[in-house]
Amino acid sequence: MQASLKSQHTQPEATWKSRFQEWWFRNRALIGFAFIFPWFAGFIIFDAAPFIYNLYLSFTDYQIGTVGTPPWIGFENYIKIFTEDKFFGKSMYNTVYYLGFSVPLRLIFAFLIALILNLRVRGMELYRTLFYVPSVVPLVAATVIFAGFLNTRYGFLNQFLVLIGAMPVRWLSSPDAIKPSLILLSLWGFGGQMIIFLAGLQGIPEDLYEAAAIDGGTGWHRLLYITIPLMTPTIFFNLLLGLIGGFQIFEQVFILLGTNGGPLQAGLVYMLHVYNKAFRDFEFGYSAALSVILFLIIFVLTLMLVFTSNRWVFYGDAQDDDG
Amino acid sequence: MKHSLMLRIAIALGILLSFGLMPAAADCDGEIIELEFMNWWGAAREAYMDELIGHFQEENPCVRVINQVQPWDNRAELLATAAASSNPPGIIMSTRPETYQFAINGLIIPIDAYVEAHGTDLGVFYDGEIGLQYWNGELYGLPMPTAGGLTGLMIYNKNLLRDAGFDPEDPPDTWQELEEMAAAITVADPMGIDVLGAAAGSTSATAGADAEFVAWLYTNNGKYVSDDGRTLLFNSPEGVETLEWMVNLTNNINGGTENIIDFFQDTSFSQGDHPWYDDQQAFLHINTSFFGHFNVADPDGYADTDSWGTMLRPYNGDNPDAHSAGTTGYNYSGAWAYTIPAVHPPEMQEAAFKFAEFIGVHPQGGCAFLFRQSRPSPVKECNENPAYYDVNPYWSVVLEGLALDTPVQITPIQGQLAEILSNNIEEAYFGVKSPADALNDAHAEMQKLLDEFWAEFDADNM
Repeated sequence: MQASLKSQHTQPEATWKSRFQEWWFRNRALIGFAFIFPWFAGFIIFDAAPFIYNLYLSFTDYQIGTVGTPPWIGFENYIKIFTEDKFFGKSMYNTVYYLGFSVPLRLIFAFLIALILNLRVRGMELYRTLFYVPSVVPLVAATVIFAGFLNTRYGFLNQFLVLIGAMPVRWLSSPDAIKPSLILLSLWGFGGQMIIFLAGLQGIPEDLYEAAAIDGGTGWHRLLYITIPLMTPTIFFNLLLGLIGGFQIFEQVFILLGTNGGPLQAGLVYMLHVYNKAFRDFEFGYSAALSVILFLIIFVLTLMLVFTSNRWVFYGDAQDDDG
Repeated sequence: MKHSLMLRIAIALGILLSFGLMPAAADCDGEIIELEFMNWWGAAREAYMDELIGHFQEENPCVRVINQVQPWDNRAELLATAAASSNPPGIIMSTRPETYQFAINGLIIPIDAYVEAHGTDLGVFYDGEIGLQYWNGELYGLPMPTAGGLTGLMIYNKNLLRDAGFDPEDPPDTWQELEEMAAAITVADPMGIDVLGAAAGSTSATAGADAEFVAWLYTNNGKYVSDDGRTLLFNSPEGVETLEWMVNLTNNINGGTENIIDFFQDTSFSQGDHPWYDDQQAFLHINTSFFGHFNVADPDGYADTDSWGTMLRPYNGDNPDAHSAGTTGYNYSGAWAYTIPAVHPPEMQEAAFKFAEFIGVHPQGGCAFLFRQSRPSPVKECNENPAYYDVNPYWSVVLEGLALDTPVQITPIQGQLAEILSNNIEEAYFGVKSPADALNDAHAEMQKLLDEFWAEFDADNM
């Protein structure tokens, strides 16, 4: 009797559940789209549409005060960039210089710190938090702190240099020191990459290290033949993001050096040039063309990295998976 | 709970009372027009401006002016973005190059019709001041403060002169005397400058290097541009000599432009953290806003005229035709006016003009506002107030400096020209180019742009 009652009670529930599952299965594609719709809508409104509009503007002479449709000038902006704009080459050089040093340095630094933070030591949670905290400090605040840190007369860095008998450095006033200062500042935000490395490190199976230890492998061998190869997907990911972000460096330079990029425009990075053309010279069409060129450079570089990644990034034994 | 209720009642009463106390809301018969006033009268001047607005609203109860003081950093970008937007402020404080730029792009309206309709007497202004606000024969704003008094005056620290063995009542008249005193006063070490005699630039050697060069150029009997504004003249022998002197002062006496940049890093005269206030600078070129800022930041120091003095900008003693001089209307931070955006409806523009007129010519407008800062007014009669001698111990020097100012012709592309000149001068400071090459290169690039501008302008105005 009791069993019968239970059956009566659970029967409709089971039916409802199975109907729901059936409906869910039948409409799974639709539901999937519904879930990604907020992102998709955001992408269309905030990324794709502005990108297309920017692309259109790059072929126009859109300036301050332009009323109605800006005049179409074809490739004139692009031709001017490559033939007349002396700050295009300079800003690109400054940006590539910055990237060339800051991206590898930050990768190495973040990787080393992640290795240390992956050790089994008491209170490690505290150390991890301490190393990550700088990354949650807003960039503007961090830059202002750095401005004081780099002050020639009163800054900590020069006080330290003098203390050890070295000559003080004109961090923000000498054209030769400006780019190294920016590179130094870029290390501040290594925490994000460090966390990704840490997650990657924790995904490496322990038995690989145990096998290496049995075979007599030293710590150096383990790092070189197990950790680094298995971390290459993470290194690749961080490298890609670092390059994309590095090309877009702007706020810290703007705050430290102003729109001119400091003495002799030694810190005039590409995005600052784009900004100046738009909001200082009010040549919005020209500025749009500059940003399209930056997009193309990043796009081509990303493609190159992706296509060459199979030569150095270890994605596991793909043939086994296929087979 | 009780506290919360009391607090709510107090806030509600406060809001009611504040509405009740507003003269514009109390006495207006018709609809109130809200006028957003974008300006840069920050620091102590904000309260003075609020007072001015209060007086204006008493006379114009249907206009409510919202005082929107903006930060100085990135001022030009902020202003232009606001002016070009579809909803700009009702009235904008802009410099002469910006006024011209907005005028030529149709972003602001000429005010000649309003001047005529209101019977505004433009004769109250100095000719040189109101004259700077015309572009292509049309008037775009009324001036306040003066465009003059921007570069012709310098202040100096008598204590530092005394300590170095110079007569504090006999400041330098010539470049050569200035150089001699600066060399004796400047104290530097590997960390930079501790006490600065004089810099070729006002705050840094590189920010606005073009404006400082042009200011010194006129004290060597040089000219920036021809009177019709079409031919650049700054790379003359006088120009080259001027830049050579500036580079020498910067590199040989002050130890390089890096020293100067570091010395002024993150300091502001209006905020009271400028080296001047710590007796670390002997000679300082600054505009007449200095008096008000000094009085607010260090009232005791301001009152002690035994410790500081005012002088005219020294001239090249080796050039028999040179004399102390100043320029008006060149600087990117000078010749301010109050301009009216074109997109607003006529009633808003009418209200904006009323306010601009009040600022410009009313005794309780710019006249009183500038008096409180001990600085001169573009209205002749205001400066004749004998009380100025009480609030400004060097008022006679100020008037002398104003009389020596020379207007400089500029065009709406002044911003671009200034940037080219500034960058080339910077290259001369850093030894990348000789002063002569720097000026010649700048001249070639700038004249090309200027020729293109005038060709287009002439074609449009045929």
